[in-house]
Amino acid sequence: MRTEIIGVSQNIERIKELINQVADTGLNTLVSGETGVGKELVVQNLYARSNRQGRPFVKVNCAALPDGLLESELFGYEQGAFTGAQRRRRGKFELAHSGVLFLDEIGDMSLPLQSKVLHVLQGGHFSPLGSEKDVRTDTWVVAATNHDLETEMKNGKFRGDLYYRLSTIKIHVAPLRERPEDIPYLIDFYVKEYSQLFKDKKVKKPDNEVMKKLLSYHWPGNVRELQNVLKRIMILGEFEEGIDEMLQPADAPRPGDPLAIAPMVHSELMDYDIGNNIDLKTLSLKKIRKKVLDRVEKEVIAYVLNKTGWNRSKATKILNISYKTLLYKIKDLGIEPPEGVLSDEY
Amino acid sequence: MERTYKLLVIDDSQEILVALDKYLQKKKFNVTTAADGLEGLKILKAEEGGFDLVITDLVMPFVSGVGVISILKKEFPNTPVVAITGYGEHPEALALEANADVVMEKPFDLDDLERQVNDLLARAAGS
Repeated sequence: MRTEIIGVSQNIERIKELINQVADTGLNTLVSGETGVGKELVVQNLYARSNRQGRPFVKVNCAALPDGLLESELFGYEQGAFTGAQRRRRGKFELAHSGVLFLDEIGDMSLPLQSKVLHVLQGGHFSPLGSEKDVRTDTWVVAATNHDLETEMKNGKFRGDLYYRLSTIKIHVAPLRERPEDIPYLIDFYVKEYSQLFKDKKVKKPDNEVMKKLLSYHWPGNVRELQNVLKRIMILGEFEEGIDEMLQPADAPRPGDPLAIAPMVHSELMDYDIGNNIDLKTLSLKKIRKKVLDRVEKEVIAYVLNKTGWNRSKATKILNISYKTLLYKIKDLGIEPPEGVLSDEY
Repeated sequence: MERTYKLLVIDDSQEILVALDKYLQKKKFNVTTAADGLEGLKILKAEEGGFDLVITDLVMPFVSGVGVISILKKEFPNTPVVAITGYGEHPEALALEANADVVMEKPFDLDDLERQVNDLLARAAGS
């Protein structure tokens, strides 16, 4: 797995230096930064350079699971601990013994669960659900978040004792707009990587004009957005006609803003489709283009309809399409109205 | 001739660093300063013969004071450490857990700090 950290900015140089100094210490580490900056890559680099490399690396996404499920994921359970627990299951703390437990999105963890994680960090032991026995664990805990945990701590949303215990080492990955000097190195790296990855396909490399635009863009979606735009340019061959659409102006809404739905959808689609689930032998650009367009259209139309309270006339004005086209799209794309909204108009 | 002790002082607040440096130099200590935990670690590793005592802030970017103390005490268990903090009970408890010899809460009296430093150095010399 690639774990190389690309860049020459002061922020990236400091991160590399920090990792060199602390990778072997096993001290709890907190990696922070906006979505898409490459926090997981930093964690993997830390692991690869540590003396725990080759031992278990266990990742848990704390935002992806409801509280009860996350608790049983982390601590495991005994047979019969609850309905459906037909046999004993080891938790991630146990599975990560002698290795690394990567708690991604730790800022989304509930306060009760935070106190249980703190308990393990304090004592190095825990009890699986339904068990009275203590399990000892020697786990290096590395956490990541896109939240400002110091502010959340002040607002009572994150436990202070857990914050200080996790942040013995603090690595902050700056957003790409604050380190534009890294952009050419990242582009160069990913162009080479995608050329290699898609070598069976005819890939196009960005020409000078496109490069100029990529270099001067502010990248609100950070490195992930850069990767997605490069994949789109190289695989789908969308150059002059697509590049200006892909790159949002600086005053465009940021990720997290509801108005930023279109770029967000595009970003998720690219993550989902290219490189992960596609069989290169049956790759068809036409089909991908249709699928991408359908999904983007569906998300955007549904978003506008929800914003207008399903007032179709208003929606047609915003979307700049005819009433008939809107009704057709709603039906064709399978956009469902929320409860209480009449759907018999189409 | 009286021995000059080598102290390393780590704090991310420039004002505190300058004040401590000035005061401790006046008291005839040989003082090296570091602006954060990462710089402090690098100096610690590079210093031949090590330091006689380390004074470190606890809440700092990159490597916290707790991180510095943990790493230092593993390599040089006999080097005394004074931890200084203005962030209350949690960092204090973690510093003691990491084997800091003394924790002082900011703001503190500089003469108190000197007393603590001298006590720890005398104890280290006697052990």
